[in-house]
Amino acid sequence: MSVARTLPLADLLDEAGLTGRGGGAFPTGAKLRAARSSHAELVVNACDGEPGSLKDAWVVREHLAELVHGAGLLADGAPVRFAAHRGSATLAGLRAAGLPTLEVPPRYVSSQESALVSLAAGGLARPMTARVPIVFGGRDGSGRAVTPTLVVNAETTWRVAQVSQRGPAWFRSHGTPDEPGPRLVTLTGHVPRPGVLDTAAGIALADLLAAGGLERDHDRPVIAGGLAGGLLTPGETQRARWSTAGLSPFGACIGAGTIEALDPRTCPLEQVAARVHGAAGESAGSAVRACSACRRWPATSTRCSRAPARASSRRCTTGWAAARPRGVPLPRRGRGARPLGAAGLRQSSGSARRRRVSVVSAQPGAHVVHLAVDRVACTGHGVCAALLDGWVLDPEGYPVVLDDRASPAAAATVERMCPARAIYPRAPRSR
Amino acid sequence: MTTNELLWVTSRATGVVSLVLLTAVLTLGVALSGSRSGSASARATVTAVHRWLGLGIGTFVVAHVVTVIVETWVDIGWLSLVLPFTSGYERLWVGLGTLVLDVLVDVVVTSALRHRIPERAWRLVHLTGYALWPVAVIHGIALGTSTTPLLRWASIGCALLGGAAIAWRLLVPHHDARQRATAAAGVWS
Repeated sequence: MSVARTLPLADLLDEAGLTGRGGGAFPTGAKLRAARSSHAELVVNACDGEPGSLKDAWVVREHLAELVHGAGLLADGAPVRFAAHRGSATLAGLRAAGLPTLEVPPRYVSSQESALVSLAAGGLARPMTARVPIVFGGRDGSGRAVTPTLVVNAETTWRVAQVSQRGPAWFRSHGTPDEPGPRLVTLTGHVPRPGVLDTAAGIALADLLAAGGLERDHDRPVIAGGLAGGLLTPGETQRARWSTAGLSPFGACIGAGTIEALDPRTCPLEQVAARVHGAAGESAGSAVRACSACRRWPATSTRCSRAPARASSRRCTTGWAAARPRGVPLPRRGRGARPLGAAGLRQSSGSARRRRVSVVSAQPGAHVVHLAVDRVACTGHGVCAALLDGWVLDPEGYPVVLDDRASPAAAATVERMCPARAIYPRAPRSR
Repeated sequence: MTTNELLWVTSRATGVVSLVLLTAVLTLGVALSGSRSGSASARATVTAVHRWLGLGIGTFVVAHVVTVIVETWVDIGWLSLVLPFTSGYERLWVGLGTLVLDVLVDVVVTSALRHRIPERAWRLVHLTGYALWPVAVIHGIALGTSTTPLLRWASIGCALLGGAAIAWRLLVPHHDARQRATAAAGVWS
């Protein structure tokens, strides 16, 4: 008998601790509650957007009935669509089952949440900047109304059905207290037996790799977490656990659950660069700016820029490991895709004293506004960097936000001064 | 100098100043939209000057229009303030001036309210600035008659400067035009 009858679904998901499995790890219960309040439509994302990921395809292939059941629970009568890449076996499988589908062009950014919502509304599959969470709708950068849409990853949707059928206690019996529940991992790249495993956070990375056929003394560098993740040396893969806490010392993360073993014969950093170039090439233009909003890249790229200098030789396969104390998180910005040192940042001219507006420090009780950049609307005027401390321009003239806090007066000035109207206040990051 | 004379001379002077300011605002705006060179603080300054000068034009335009209606040498009535081609004096050229005034009010009001209206609406109205300016120049050259050649030469100078700015904007591609073209050429739906 379904446990869902005793508790509202969102509460049940909260109790289970289910979070988004597409890489965002946002609590599904909270997202669902928001969707109910805004009468959102549902899009189940089965695109496997993260390069190398196969788990959404696996869910559609192996657990379609439960996936559809989960979607029904989440939608609660609202329209549902299943998004999959054009030409994929997943799309064919969904169609064969008679499900309403959303055919997504097979590009890196096209399966991003707001890109799917744009496509579903008849627009292009390119990211919009959601100034309010897309589940509430709101308006895009050009002022057009956005349909409130709940976009949920296929694995997450399947887990909803599982939680409803087996209960939160069963769910929490897997994984770690911080990251409970079973979760899928895709083993890809240079592994003898690539594929999808149903596992849980906290497992030793070495055990996962062994399941894919890589013995303990293997020589493969590994990318954990895909383009949002990081690179581990063969030695580090022996020590790391597959969880946020276990991977963060190496600059890596769970992300969308991909674990990719690299070719041991060529420089791993060149392979990393190839992946960044690939994602950038698929994105280009304004779309990639929407995905490049990684707050930490100035720090990470400093580390990245040091390592390739020693590892540029094709013969070098271990030098890169010695050159850096920690894992090399992939700089999550596509355009340019060249290693950038901190020196590459063009500092806005003028001393802090000469600037008319300055960031206030977060004193207790001080009123602070958190500013964000609409990466789609931004056209690189750079006015924000001239007005705000803590904002610099990258070599192509687009803002890098080192500190998003501003006093209300400063925030109002910058919002009005931006020629592209791309600066907006947003709720502070809660996590 | 009689009051009427004073009004007439003031109208002439504020008219030519309005045209010079309008040309300056246009040129700064064109530079902002077409170029990404220069330091961030220089760009912030240009942005601010473009905006405040644009707002400041209003003062001179109001003086120009009110004085020419109030003075009695030429027959321009209050109706000509809003309705083009209604004046007894130089119906065509004064009518162009009325057109400029109407469009200018739209551009200034939408810019002042920019944070409250859809970006696309603002952009559409703002682009009419490119049509407004040449009409203002024609109005200025046609009516800038005087015993001193200063008025007409000021108008011609504005025509050359603004024309060069617009030509530059049309010839120079957007700073990331190549990237936009590459992105747009992909399959996105």
